[in-house]
Amino acid sequence: MTFLQPWVLAALPLIGLPLIIHLINQRRFQTVPWAATMFLAAAKALSSGYSRLRHWLIMLLRMLAVAGVILAIGRPLSRGWLALAGGARPDTAVVILDRSPSMQARDPAAPGTKLATGRRQLADSLETLAPSRCLYLGGGDRPVEIPPAALDDLPEAGPAAAAADIPGMLQAAYDHIRENAAGTAEVWICSDGRANDWAIEEGGWAGLRDAFAKLPQQVRFQLLAFDDPVPGNLAVRVTEARLERRAGTRELLVSVAVSRVDAAGAAGGEEAATVPIRFEIDGVTTVVDLELSGRETILANHPLPLGRGEAVRGWGRVSIPADPCAADNEFYFVFDEPAPRVTMVVADEAAVERVLRLVASIPPSKERVARGELVPASGLATAPWDEAAALLWQGPLPAGRDAELVEAFLARGGQVIFFPPEAGGGTTFAGVSWGDWLDFKEPQQPEQWRPDADLLANTVAGNALPVGELEVRRVRGLNGEVVPLASLPDGSPLVTRLPDGRGVYFCTTLPRPQDSTLASEGIVLYALVQRAIERGLEPLAGARQVAAGPEASLLTAGEQGEGRWRRLAGPSEPVSAEGGLHAGVYAREGRLVAVNRPLAEDTAGILATERIDGLFRGLSYTRITGQAGQSDSIVQEIWRAFLIAMLLALVGEGLLSLPRRRMTSRPPAAPLGAAA
Amino acid sequence: MFSDRQPRAFLDPAVLARLAGVPLLSRRPMVGNVSGRHASPHRGSSVEFAEYRKYVPGDDLRRLDWRAFGRSDRYYVKEYEADTNLRLCLVLDTSGSMAYGSTGPVAGDSQPLTKIDYARRICGPLAYLASQQGDAVGVSCAAEEIVRTLPPRRSPAHLRLVFDVLEEARPQGTTGLPEVLHELAETVRQRALVVVVSDLFVPTEDLAGAFGHLKFRRHDVAVFHLLDPQEIGFQFQRPTRFLDLEGGGAIFADPVEIADRYHTAVNAYLEAIRQLVLESGIDYRRVLTDEPYEQVLARFLVGRAAGRGLR
Repeated sequence: MTFLQPWVLAALPLIGLPLIIHLINQRRFQTVPWAATMFLAAAKALSSGYSRLRHWLIMLLRMLAVAGVILAIGRPLSRGWLALAGGARPDTAVVILDRSPSMQARDPAAPGTKLATGRRQLADSLETLAPSRCLYLGGGDRPVEIPPAALDDLPEAGPAAAAADIPGMLQAAYDHIRENAAGTAEVWICSDGRANDWAIEEGGWAGLRDAFAKLPQQVRFQLLAFDDPVPGNLAVRVTEARLERRAGTRELLVSVAVSRVDAAGAAGGEEAATVPIRFEIDGVTTVVDLELSGRETILANHPLPLGRGEAVRGWGRVSIPADPCAADNEFYFVFDEPAPRVTMVVADEAAVERVLRLVASIPPSKERVARGELVPASGLATAPWDEAAALLWQGPLPAGRDAELVEAFLARGGQVIFFPPEAGGGTTFAGVSWGDWLDFKEPQQPEQWRPDADLLANTVAGNALPVGELEVRRVRGLNGEVVPLASLPDGSPLVTRLPDGRGVYFCTTLPRPQDSTLASEGIVLYALVQRAIERGLEPLAGARQVAAGPEASLLTAGEQGEGRWRRLAGPSEPVSAEGGLHAGVYAREGRLVAVNRPLAEDTAGILATERIDGLFRGLSYTRITGQAGQSDSIVQEIWRAFLIAMLLALVGEGLLSLPRRRMTSRPPAAPLGAAA
Repeated sequence: MFSDRQPRAFLDPAVLARLAGVPLLSRRPMVGNVSGRHASPHRGSSVEFAEYRKYVPGDDLRRLDWRAFGRSDRYYVKEYEADTNLRLCLVLDTSGSMAYGSTGPVAGDSQPLTKIDYARRICGPLAYLASQQGDAVGVSCAAEEIVRTLPPRRSPAHLRLVFDVLEEARPQGTTGLPEVLHELAETVRQRALVVVVSDLFVPTEDLAGAFGHLKFRRHDVAVFHLLDPQEIGFQFQRPTRFLDLEGGGAIFADPVEIADRYHTAVNAYLEAIRQLVLESGIDYRRVLTDEPYEQVLARFLVGRAAGRGLR
């Protein structure tokens, strides 16, 4: 239980006051010489158990009355259904708000979304608790100090399209608490417990937990969990929007997926239903009825005519009727003519150069144009850096001016795959350098690779790349910190990437027969290169789809400054000025960006209670279950209850203390002889 | 009579003067050694006619009733009651419980009137009255055993000794009244008026045996049962540590809490005493120490004179 005036609790020993007074009274008894002890002894022997019980009850009620007064003066707080967590008024309260789209689910029977309910409850609670400082973390790197009451109206605490980074915000809270040496801190987390928001699988939680546990000051965690599912929720998403020319007209083929996933993330029901899907492009609205079946229904390549105009770039919106969660009822998309697939190839070995150029020149479809341009090592300065999507580099790692050019290319979003030089290679790039060649007596086949993400991920259809069928005879070692994407049985990396997230990859063997079967079993090499090209094309495309969050923030607030981006479409309600967190279509210098909620928001489930509770094991932690639309405050002053309890105790004490009915007449004292 | 001594605190001349008009009588024939005011089991020469008896040779011819001979032509001897003196045995309970007193202070003293004080006021006048009518007076102080005893004597000097014993009696020790009464029943050979002045804080069944023993020895038994009003009313308010005057330790109690049960115990005790009195036929007087002792004594003397002692 929390008390607003915990210092009053120092008076709790006064609970023993009735006992002390009783003992003092016992000590202050009168001593009377007495003759008729035989009657006294008989009376004592007749003393009943009820009498003793009554005495103890009176004592107990008096102690309860004193306790009631002290606790009432201490201004106790009740925290919803869990009023058992101890603690006093915190010096610092840090509010971590999950503003992800799933928090905009609402209970059909009650007003207010989970986010609005949690925000209001937190504001009320913090206003009651009145901490010395109230800090807010809703997605930024650093907490912002706010008045507690302002939380409910803070634009930065409003709904966002991005997933919440709960561990990141906790890390920021930890950094702040540690750096500012705050006193007693209380971290309030309001979340619906979605797996993608909590990133429980990514590790780091143990370190975070240990870090909090080692803080010198006490940190309490209060989780306001809105983890009850809201059934009947549908989510719509555009999986692809591409232009096609047919008979002189242009068609936009839009693929839409409607997920029957409730707001909690669990699979929805299987019953059939028809959902009208509304397409809006340039003010033209088209409605298509989609028969739902199963968990997810896909409307593939739905054609939307664009007319014969010259403009090829545009944006649109897909929406479905309102349901319990409004945030996943619409999706924005943009489209444009695809950019040419230009790849620069720098190679020392002619054989390698031929293979790489060939791989880069084959477009994935006949409508696309692909070009692999050989760039001599001496001609890097004049290479087509601005239009290239990827750079395939076989030779010593770039250094000096060459390295600067490559770094600039990477910063623009280009992708680079380094292949090892046959000889030399003492240079270092991004902290990585080539090691020695390692020859295998027998061809080695990769046993481990990452099929879930990055360049060697499974295909869209779910099929794995035949990485395990490759045969590798020579690899060159790498010095430096890299993340392996594929490894040989002896642990030697075959394909790696830099851990900083930039598109820098290393392939440790060469596509030559004496080195590997990368060329003869060309599927893996082709997929590797084409995926890198695809990634490199994204920054060059006139229209991009990005998930709200850090990537969108970088894009929309990019190097040109956020003032250059213009919002063309988006939710009607006012949003904060935070870049990249809100869904919509943004434009700058003729380029379009559609920002939508991440895919995980539609697929991630709700974490089990015990899994989230386990994250705070060893810390002072309380979980309070909230419900969308709930009007009760989670923190209430309950001193009245203690006063009433005190009064009841006093009344009970008074009733028990009433003297029992005394004998109305004394025993017969008249002289018996005289009466006779 | 006692001009050479300090006046006894328990003797009030005015009270004695008022009580002197009522004789102290025995309810049973006494076997005395001198003539007195009490009936004797033997025939004597008093003026009170007893019976006619047939003349047998050897009878004093002066007692022959000639008128009866004239009417019936038979010889009858006229017999009269023999008056004799009595032996008054005062049994004063001097156990520790007799030191209790809660009623108003004794005149001229700041101490409350204790039961032993009251007992002296009962015994002193009785001794005086008995002595004045020629009876022998003795006293026994009884605690756990007989602390001090004076056998009955008729001399005025002996009365002074009795007063001394009464005055010097100090309450202490436990009560062994039943044992003391048994012992007296054995040691007082001749019939006597045994006056017990005590609070009787002993088991009633023991008392019944002792009184039965005295009755068996043909003693006339009278009991003054002294009770302090506080012992009956038990009017205490604060938690109290009751210190047993007979050395039985202390009992801590909240009087408010146990008053009802105390009164229950007192009632049961008094009811047992009542039964004892009814069964044994002793002359029982229950006395609250807030009553004037003169009234108590007057009631006692008048009751006996009228032959209305409780049986």
